[in-house]
Amino acid sequence: MSTAITVLLAAAVLAVLAVVVAYVLGWANRAFEVKVDPRVAAVLEVLPAANCGACGFVGCGEYAEAVAAGNAPPNLCAPGGENCAQQIAQIMGVSVEPSFPYRAVVHCAARFNQRLGRNAYRGEPTCAAANLVTDVQGCTYGCLGLGDCERVCPYDAIHVIDGLATVDYHQCIGCKRCAAVCPRNIITMVPFKAERMVVIACSNKDFGPEVREVCEVGCIGCKACSKHAGPIEMAGQLPIINYDAYVSESDFTTALEKCPRESLLFVGKPTPEDLAAVAGEKLPDRVEGDFKTTVDETEWRG
Amino acid sequence: MEIVITLAQIAIGAALINNFVLHYFVGICPFLGVSRRVDTAVGMGLAVTFVMTIAAMLSWVFTFYILRPGASLPAWAWHAVGGAPGTTIDLSVLSYIMYIFVIAASVQFVEMYVRKFFPAMYKSFGVYLPLITTNCAILFACLEIMKHLQEPSRLWGMPEALTLAVGGGLGFTLAIVLMAGIREELDVCDVPRALRGPGIALIVAGILAMAFMGFAGVDRGIETTLTILMKK
Repeated sequence: MSTAITVLLAAAVLAVLAVVVAYVLGWANRAFEVKVDPRVAAVLEVLPAANCGACGFVGCGEYAEAVAAGNAPPNLCAPGGENCAQQIAQIMGVSVEPSFPYRAVVHCAARFNQRLGRNAYRGEPTCAAANLVTDVQGCTYGCLGLGDCERVCPYDAIHVIDGLATVDYHQCIGCKRCAAVCPRNIITMVPFKAERMVVIACSNKDFGPEVREVCEVGCIGCKACSKHAGPIEMAGQLPIINYDAYVSESDFTTALEKCPRESLLFVGKPTPEDLAAVAGEKLPDRVEGDFKTTVDETEWRG
Repeated sequence: MEIVITLAQIAIGAALINNFVLHYFVGICPFLGVSRRVDTAVGMGLAVTFVMTIAAMLSWVFTFYILRPGASLPAWAWHAVGGAPGTTIDLSVLSYIMYIFVIAASVQFVEMYVRKFFPAMYKSFGVYLPLITTNCAILFACLEIMKHLQEPSRLWGMPEALTLAVGGGLGFTLAIVLMAGIREELDVCDVPRALRGPGIALIVAGILAMAFMGFAGVDRGIETTLTILMKK
């Protein structure tokens, strides 16, 4: 008898509770409804959901909210690029200026054997730590080659090859993380107005003789390039390229020929002509990222 | 004045001596999952404290009036449909399903309310709310309260239940923040390869738990001190 009472009452209690709670929650759902701008969802749909932070917002969600509220221009998304900006502009009903994809450029071209005055370094193997001590290498401006940028890159797009950080432009989406982490500030974001861009691959601001002492390829400040190509200007002993004046038709041939060092380079994806020029040679295949690896960023320190 | 001593004992007991995480090992999944950074750990801890307080309040009401042996509401209902008066009805079998149901519903309600009226607060810890609806630390607090409503001679009131919840929640916050601080340091340590990740985290949690064993007996001291103070 008492079991029957318990069963009956238990069922009754739960049934009453279910009805009451369902009613309260249903009422609350309508009463506390928050109006969400439908454009936020639409913009979020268009964004690539990389959550990389290149736009300056915490994630794609926050950028979508800022765009919908009119607080951000529609063309900030680096991974989405032109196509994404156009679609966002269409959703928002605004016109968008042509934007170019920003890609990381390492302003250094010296590999291990080209850097002079190197000393054994046995400290913490990170650039941030090595940058605190003197005499790791002669050049106080150039790449340290310990790979802080490589470890911070979520897209497997920058690798230290022969001691020099080298960007893989097939993978780079322009999230700016390597530029932010580099303790020597030699990685900058360049608007890629063409598949291949000319860049100044040196950051050494010293005079020629001092550069020659520490590097085999660094810029000696001879100013030859600035005389032969329009967008190149001199800032002290180092040329800089004015990318506002840079058009994909700009002619750098003479400047590249005149450079006595290797400080002026083309970077970016190879053009069909470049590929045709080396078609006969046997080259190693491009190494694709292997995402099966379990090696994390602490692994290699051993 | 007796009640002050009891409440102090309950609070210290829940926060330190019988810390939910480090003594009873409940609420381990947020403890390990959200303890990578101190700021998120603080957010999680405070959200747990908040939800635990609400859950304790509701579960005390439900337990006192419906679930405990000899509760008034079912007896009245039984009498209303023509049953014999004075029948002792024990609905404690419903405790688990009832607590989960009530906690989930109330957290849902609170989430909607906060989202509507306190958007800034919703942004700072709203994301943790759905994560902890059925966190076992919350359920444990409810069951602990139920345990103290079983004996008709020494029943807990609402103040005791709320003190247990707030103390337990703050103890959880303390544990998860300590853990997050240690894990932030662990990131730069040379941990043996086989122990990296969850392995070292569990070892650290065990050592923390051992350290918390040192609090055993503190409640006696508090009782004595408070009694002396009260007499003065």
